[in-house]
Amino acid sequence: MSNKYYEFFCPVKVIAGKAALEHIPYELTGLAARRPMIITDKGVRAAGLLDPVISACEESGLEIVSIYDDVPPDSSTGVVRAIAEVYRSEKCDSIIAVGGGSAIDTAKAVNILVSEGGDDISKYVGAGVLKRPLKPFFVVPTTAGTGSEVTAVAVIADLEKSVKLPFSSSFLLPNAAIIDPRMTLTLPPHITAATAMDAMTHATEAFTCMAKNPLSDAYATSAIKKISTFLLPVMENPKDADARLELAQASTMAGIAFSNSMVGLVHALGHATGAICHLPHGMCMSLFLPYVLEYNLETIREPLGELLLYLDGPEVYATTPASRRAEASISAIRRLRDALYKHCKLPRTLKETGKVEADQLDRIAALALDDGSIMFNPKEVTLEDARAVLQRAWA
Amino acid sequence: MLARHIKPMAFQARRLYVEAMFQVMGQALQAVSEIDSDVQGEARSLPEGFLFEMMVMPDGPRLIIEHLGNGALRFHGSTAPRDPDLSIQFKHIAHAFLVLSFQEKTSVAFANDRMLVDGDLGYAIRITRILNRLEAFILPRLVASRAVKEYPRDLNLPKKVIGAARIYLKVANQFVDTVRA
Repeated sequence: MSNKYYEFFCPVKVIAGKAALEHIPYELTGLAARRPMIITDKGVRAAGLLDPVISACEESGLEIVSIYDDVPPDSSTGVVRAIAEVYRSEKCDSIIAVGGGSAIDTAKAVNILVSEGGDDISKYVGAGVLKRPLKPFFVVPTTAGTGSEVTAVAVIADLEKSVKLPFSSSFLLPNAAIIDPRMTLTLPPHITAATAMDAMTHATEAFTCMAKNPLSDAYATSAIKKISTFLLPVMENPKDADARLELAQASTMAGIAFSNSMVGLVHALGHATGAICHLPHGMCMSLFLPYVLEYNLETIREPLGELLLYLDGPEVYATTPASRRAEASISAIRRLRDALYKHCKLPRTLKETGKVEADQLDRIAALALDDGSIMFNPKEVTLEDARAVLQRAWA
Repeated sequence: MLARHIKPMAFQARRLYVEAMFQVMGQALQAVSEIDSDVQGEARSLPEGFLFEMMVMPDGPRLIIEHLGNGALRFHGSTAPRDPDLSIQFKHIAHAFLVLSFQEKTSVAFANDRMLVDGDLGYAIRITRILNRLEAFILPRLVASRAVKEYPRDLNLPKKVIGAARIYLKVANQFVDTVRA
């Protein structure tokens, strides 16, 4: 399964643990930045998550020059342009993104405009367009799932043309990702569960899809072990800062893994379902993961069997016959989903979401076939295959 | 001494092979779009006039294909009438050779970062499926299995033989027409 050639790249400095936020001033000044702008959303601000970031900077005499807190869930070119204008008028010299995937992607796109100049972000669409480093850029994730703090991509909607613009460049990567347990401590249970399952899917697909490699494997298995060990304790005790930190680290590790070895059919179906039925990404990942693993089973039996060690621990791994480990891994993931359903009603089927109609499945299948992730799925997926997986995931 | 002469010849041969394979593939893509409903179905979703290029970076061999509409493809040789809408670029001639000599599957080449996509990724996925379908038709099953992720389940022997014969005949005719022109 593993390829004889691979590439691996992650130059992001990871600053993780207790009082990690307090490292931001030192790291900024190390890059000669004195006038940072924070990009975030209203939910993050309302939850009080900006307070420790701001006070960490102010205590070190570093003023946050501007705060943009109106990033919508699906950011657009207009939002990016508006933030870039504020950045320029306030003479900022660096960006701190505080939030989930949307705030981070928006900040990446803003960094392109304020570094390269101009107001038209669509000029920079595609891979390899950027040729030089951008402004100092830090990311403080407030969910433990997307891994956007270590991915070299951003997606921004062009609402006028009704298309999503993809940007891909290693220069989009932040200088540092700050993983502080205070940032995820108040995350509601259903978002905690969905985002953790997003990270679990990143790691599982990174480990079982076509571009897997020894370095991303190491990150993926470590992430799976942390999620398997700490997700349910966090659901039981959401204020457990140590377990929260483990999940946040797992999310970053899974992000490093999948950004170097890509993902497969779970993401293709998830992107399509999200686009048509507007379901949250993490929920789609959690929902489709076991069904896609079952579909891919015979192609990924060996790596999936290996994952049992990280999903269920050494004792279960040792007592399970090698020929049954792949199925046991799927069962472990199913048990985790059942437990999450019990805790916070995280849907296990499309029907349980209450937002998907049976007559939408054909459209989802067709859209999934054109998703970039499908290229890296270990099995060639036909329209009938995609429909069959969706039918199994239906109820 | 001998090695110093042989190496440039090997490089030249590799380049010629890639150029020749692009020619054959281009002609065959046009032909398969005339006979196979699956290919027509995939191509139909491309915009009319959509121009697709496969090339070797930085300025190596290339093939240009246009979607004429209704699933029909037209091979433009190595010269595009305008900027392509989609470009799939091999990073090096060695990588193109690996794929075109069926030592590495197209999907594996993508996974191995041998190729870049400049343009809509969804269209690139469709083009890749069309290329896979073509290879499954025109190559012996053993070779085709090395070139594609999974050999198509619906492609039985009679369908393959008849399809391949029609594609090769059309390719031969196109070559003759090109030579005459």
